[in-house]
Parts: sequence; C-alpha cells; structure tokens
Amino acid sequence: MSTFWIVLLSVVAGTVLSAGIACLPGLHIYNVMGALVLGILWLDALPEPCFWSFLTRPEVYVPAMTGMVVAWSMLNTIPSVLLGTPDESALFTVLPGQKYLMNGRGYEGTMITAVGSLAGAFFVVCVLAPFAPKYLPVSQEVLKGHMHWVLWIIITFILMSEWPKGGNRGRAGWAKFFDAWKGLLVGIATFVLSGVMGFILLNRSPVGHEVAFQNIMPAFVGLFAVPWCLQNIISAADVPPQRTTDSLDIDGDIILRSVWSGGLGGGFAAYMPIVTGGVGGLLAGHACAQRDERIFIMGQGVSKFVYYVGAFMLLFVPGLNLTRGGGAWMVKTLYTPSSTADYLMIVGSIAVSGAVSFLMVSPLARLTLKLIDRFDYRHVSSFALAVIVAMVFAITGWIGLFIAAVATGIGLLPVLFGSRRLNCLGILLLPIACNMSGFGDAIVGWMGLN
Amino acid sequence: MKGFSHFMSGVAVASFCPWSIEAALNGNPVFFVLGGACGILPDTLDFKFYRFFYRHDVYVEPDPIALDPQAIADEVARAVNMGVDERRYIRLKLSSIRLGADYWQQYTVDFDNENMEVVVRFGPVTNTGQVPVPGTAEKNTKVGRAKIKAKVIQTYDSSLKVDIFDGPTAGLAPREDGNFDLEFLPWHREWSHALTIGFFLGLLWLLGCTLFGNWLMGVQGLILMTGCYGIHVIEDQLGHMGSNLFYPFTKHRVPGLHWMHSGDGLPNFLAVWISCIFIFWNLHRSMEAPQYHFGLLQLFWVALIAPGLIFWGLRWLLTRKQGTDQLEADDAADEWNDMKSGN
Repeated sequence: MSTFWIVLLSVVAGTVLSAGIACLPGLHIYNVMGALVLGILWLDALPEPCFWSFLTRPEVYVPAMTGMVVAWSMLNTIPSVLLGTPDESALFTVLPGQKYLMNGRGYEGTMITAVGSLAGAFFVVCVLAPFAPKYLPVSQEVLKGHMHWVLWIIITFILMSEWPKGGNRGRAGWAKFFDAWKGLLVGIATFVLSGVMGFILLNRSPVGHEVAFQNIMPAFVGLFAVPWCLQNIISAADVPPQRTTDSLDIDGDIILRSVWSGGLGGGFAAYMPIVTGGVGGLLAGHACAQRDERIFIMGQGVSKFVYYVGAFMLLFVPGLNLTRGGGAWMVKTLYTPSSTADYLMIVGSIAVSGAVSFLMVSPLARLTLKLIDRFDYRHVSSFALAVIVAMVFAITGWIGLFIAAVATGIGLLPVLFGSRRLNCLGILLLPIACNMSGFGDAIVGWMGLN
Repeated sequence: MKGFSHFMSGVAVASFCPWSIEAALNGNPVFFVLGGACGILPDTLDFKFYRFFYRHDVYVEPDPIALDPQAIADEVARAVNMGVDERRYIRLKLSSIRLGADYWQQYTVDFDNENMEVVVRFGPVTNTGQVPVPGTAEKNTKVGRAKIKAKVIQTYDSSLKVDIFDGPTAGLAPREDGNFDLEFLPWHREWSHALTIGFFLGLLWLLGCTLFGNWLMGVQGLILMTGCYGIHVIEDQLGHMGSNLFYPFTKHRVPGLHWMHSGDGLPNFLAVWISCIFIFWNLHRSMEAPQYHFGLLQLFWVALIAPGLIFWGLRWLLTRKQGTDQLEADDAADEWNDMKSGN
C-alpha cells in the first residue's frame, strides 16, 4: 500500500476512534494517546514483530494521533455543551451552551461551536500553516527569554480582573465591602490552593511512574469536570425537550469575527507554554470585546481547536523546534520530525480529519440529545460522573481518586462562592511561572518537597 | 476602554523602560507586573473598593417577595423631589432584585419629562448570565408612575436598567434652570482617574523601596507607575465620559474627546494589539545580536496593516449585501456591564 493511503487511512481511523472517545465526558484524548504511546513502545520492544507491529511505523501513528487530536478538539464540544462536563479549554462554552440547552436549543449551540471549530481548521490550514515557518522562528528568537514574565502578567490579570459579585444591598461601609470581597478572596484562595497542589504534583507526584503522563489528569478532572457534574446533579433544572434545526442563525461576518477572536486566543495559548485554551479564550474575549453571544460561543470553538491542533502542529513547523501541549510531547517521545514533508503531511491530515470530524458532529449531537430526552438530566450527569470516576480509577488507581477528590474540594470553592473557575488553573500557572523565573526550587524547599 | 486594553497598555508602557526588560531577563518580572497592574488600577479602585463606601441619600431596595413597581417609582420620585426641596446633589441607589440562586428580576427606570413622571417597568426574570427566562416578561406588566417636581435630563439615551448583581447609582445634579442632570455611576472616575493619583502611588512605592534600601528601584517604579497609570487615564479620555484629571486640584470630570465608546470592539482590539506590537518591538530592540533584523514600520505592516486589510476585505465581501448590527452603549454603562458580566 502506498504511503498516501496509509496516511489517509490512519488519519481517518484516528479520527473515528477519537470521535467515540470525545463524546465520553471527562475522558481526555491525551489520556488515550498516553496509553497508545506506551503500547507502541511495548510493541517496538518486542523481540519478534507481531501482527500489530505495523502500528510502530511513524506514517501510521503520527497521522493517527493527528486525527485523534483534531477530532477530539472538535467533537468534545458535545459533552461540554450538552452534558456540562468541560475540560479546562471549554470552560467558557458551558454557561452559554447551557443557556441554549435550557431554551431547547442544545443542538444549535453545539453546532455553532462546531462551525467555530471548522472555521478554526480553516484558520490553521490556510493561515497558520503557510506563515508559521516564516514568522514563528522570529518571534521565538525575540520572546525566548521573556516567557516567564508573560505568565506572571497573565496571573496578575486573572486575579485583578475578577470583579466583586456581592455587596449588592445595604448601606455603604465595611460590611458591604466584606460581603463583596468574599467571592474575590475565595477566588484568590482557589488560585493559591491550586498552585500549592500543582507544586506537590509536579515535584512529588504520588501517581506511579508508569503513568507519569497522567500525573496531573486526576487533578484536572477534579478541578474542572467533577464540580460541573455535581452542580448539574444537585441543582439542574429539568431540561426542556430539545429541537434540532437544519440551519443556524449565523452568517459569514459572525464566522469571520469568531475566527478573529478565537484564532487570537487559541493561537496565543498554543504558542505560549502552560497557557491553556481557557486562558487564551478569556484573554481574546477581553481583547476583542465582542458583544454578540453567537460570536462568543463560536469563538470558543475556534479557540479550542486552534489551541489543541495548533500546539500539536508547532512540533512539525520546519526550523522552529518548539514543543507545546501534551499531544506534541507524547509524539516527540516516539518520533522527531525532520523535514518539510512531515509538516505537509500533518497539515493535510488536519484538513482531512477536520472535515471528517465536522461531518460526525451532527449525528453524534442528535444521538446525545436523544439520550438527554430519554433520561432525566440528573441521571445523565450522574452517569457522566460515574464514567469520569471510573476513568480516573482505571488510569491512576486509588491514589488518582484521592487526588481527584482533593481537587474537587478546591474546584467546588468557585461553584459555592460564585467566583471564577479559571482560578483553578493556578495548579499549572503558579508552579511553572515560579520555576521559569528561577525561584521555584526555593518554594519547593520551603514546602519540604525536595 | 475595557480592563484588558488598559492592562496591556500598561505592560506596553513598562516595556519602554529599559530597566523592566533588563530585570525580566534576570528573572525578575516585577516591573511588567507593576505596569499591567497600574494599567488596570484606576478601575480596580472604583469598582472593587470605592463604590462600597460611597454613601447614598436614597436607597431603593425592592422587596423580592412583593414585587411592586409603584414602590420603586415612589422612592425615585422622593429622591428627585428631595433634590428640588433641598437644592442639592442627590445620590440615588437602585438595588437589584434577587429571586433565587440564579434568577434576578429586571426592571427599568425612565424619566418622562413631558408628563413630569418617573416610570418604572418590570422586565423579564433573567439568569445570572443576563439571559431572559422565556415567558417571564409578560408576567408582571404593572407600571409604576410617580410625579416629580423637576425634569431629569439623561446624558445618554438608554433607561436605567437594573438586573443582576449590584444595581447602579444615579447622581442627580442640579442645573441652573431648576432641573437635574442624571449622572450614571457618579462614583466612577470621581478621583481615581487622575494623573496625579498615579504619581502619588508612585511616591508610595518610592518610599517603600527606600525604606528597604533600594531607592533606585523606587525611582524606576515611580516613573513606571506614573506612566502606566497615566495611560489608563489618557485612553479613557478618548471616550465620552472623561475623567477628573488632576484631582485634588480639579473637582470635576473633563469631558472626553468622544472618539469612541469604551466597549467598542475595534478600539479595544487595536489598543491590545498595538500594545503587543510595541512590547515585541521593545524586546527586539533590547537584543544585543539579533539574528533577524526588521524595523518598526515593517513590523506594523506584517502584524497589523496587511492582516487588517485582508480581514476588512473579507468582511466587506461577506457583508456587502447585508447590514451589520452595531450595538451602541454609553461609556459608563459599558464598563458597568463589563464588570458585571466578567467571567
């Protein structure tokens, strides 16, 4: 079989496999890719080739992994919007997504986000890919010594830009001030507690070394996905009957403006270390000041796609030598890209997988909506929570469940006090910013984690 | 402008200070952090601190159990009439009506100057995302009306709308003709948006650094804080509301240049993006032996002008046969809503 067909079939296989995984709440594609990498390393180490040894060929697993990342970043919209179980990068799609759901328009909300992802695919293939080899090495040279303070100013903005939500009634004075600041102080506490947890997990992770790929996964699940599920189970109103539609209330202008804001946010998050899609989306939302909710939700679709896929693609950009995102790090353990041909193969794979993934969004969203229509939303959320817990246990065992439980405690703080959930990202931002500025070791020493 | 635009402008100003870059290259981010923080600080002072200590003459606090627009109208009219009787500035606070964990009763206050009345109408119940709950708009159609003794002239078009979280403050400023000007959020930009405040905060920083034996860092911080705080004030002056520029030497806001509204997408984006370009340029300038060489104009062409032209060309192609909706609002209302809906 020619390399073309091998690559094409691998992309499609990776895409279809990922499509199923993406619809399961709480399961991140990086968890599956981590398992895949371990499997390939095991196959490679076998003394005699077996039937599955073809999987160890780069022209099989690299396009397949590309397809997995692309499909997941597009199709994971379905559980984020319809089941309210986002990963961190989809954090901002949940509230507007649930508005659509509560108005019986969950399908429309999902499809608008998916159109954003498709637009993100066009942005990656037609804008990022042609210009990245020429301009990114320049920016890399200028910014390479400055990433640490960029992280610090992001932290500063996240903490300073949260506004008080209390103190709404009563006479002026300290009582009103403290009532208002309750939520803000909880937000800061959430950030610091997440940061402390990050220091522990990054320096003394109790998760076994054989699943070291996943040492932060239980914490992320606990911080972001589990609190949504619990909130849905405890407080969710009954979801009204859902209707599907053949057309969406969007036009070219909305798509263009979504690409503008989402591409900016996702691109920034893809390029900067540790900055996630959620942070990129937040910054881009503030920068572009869009008032239209459709642009916001579609922009989040663009941002998430560009963040995941763009970061993965950076590994292959000729002359850049930049590894960003879990997917790229995992591929790098198996294969080092060496030529423009690799880059073109990846860009082509993104295009093919983006198209196939988009075609699968509608049927899978309809299927999920049937599930929601048939069962009580609380039961669906309970099922989602069970899947998440099972996943954490299967990959990281009891210790992973313990980490997830502690993280859930932290992740529930913003839910209970109405503060910003993004503060949970202190888990990565704080330890990494400290490390990059050169005083992470001192803090680790103070914490007794040496 | 929006908080992020101010924040990035502050960081850009900090990047013009050579000591910021030098410190950053040695692992010390303090000047850039200070720049961003000072860039957003004037709004922080107002929205996170001052407004909770701002005393009002009349507090309108509707009962969520017995929703009655007439009671609200009566209280607002009392505030106006108090201003007429006592010939002074009146501060009126309209509180929100929380119906549940995620639900708020929206209401609007309008001044009907022809009939000399204040008119209060209940809108829909909204959730915390300010999205109306279907079917609630028609449930409470009662209208509250109360007579006022003087006209209240609104400086912008929209009604006073109250929905989620904190309700707005309205200042009733007496005019020479006996009527009142309605000032939205009178506590905003009353003193915080002054060039002198930035300098004063810089002096505090200098004092602190000197006490710790590092006066040079203090002087550097003074210059940087004055500039970064000042850029916020200057940017806001491009809008409508204006600022009290030299508090305590001046007492009133100087009207803005009316070039933009603070919530407009394009000016905000340009502020952020041009700041990023200047930061990039300053970092490039500070490199001792860069591998790539380019000028500022070239950078602007590649990073702003060329993509901007392509974007607007595409937008023209996509919208040439249709109108595009442009939502307009007032500066203060923009900032107020931005604050309330901030994620």
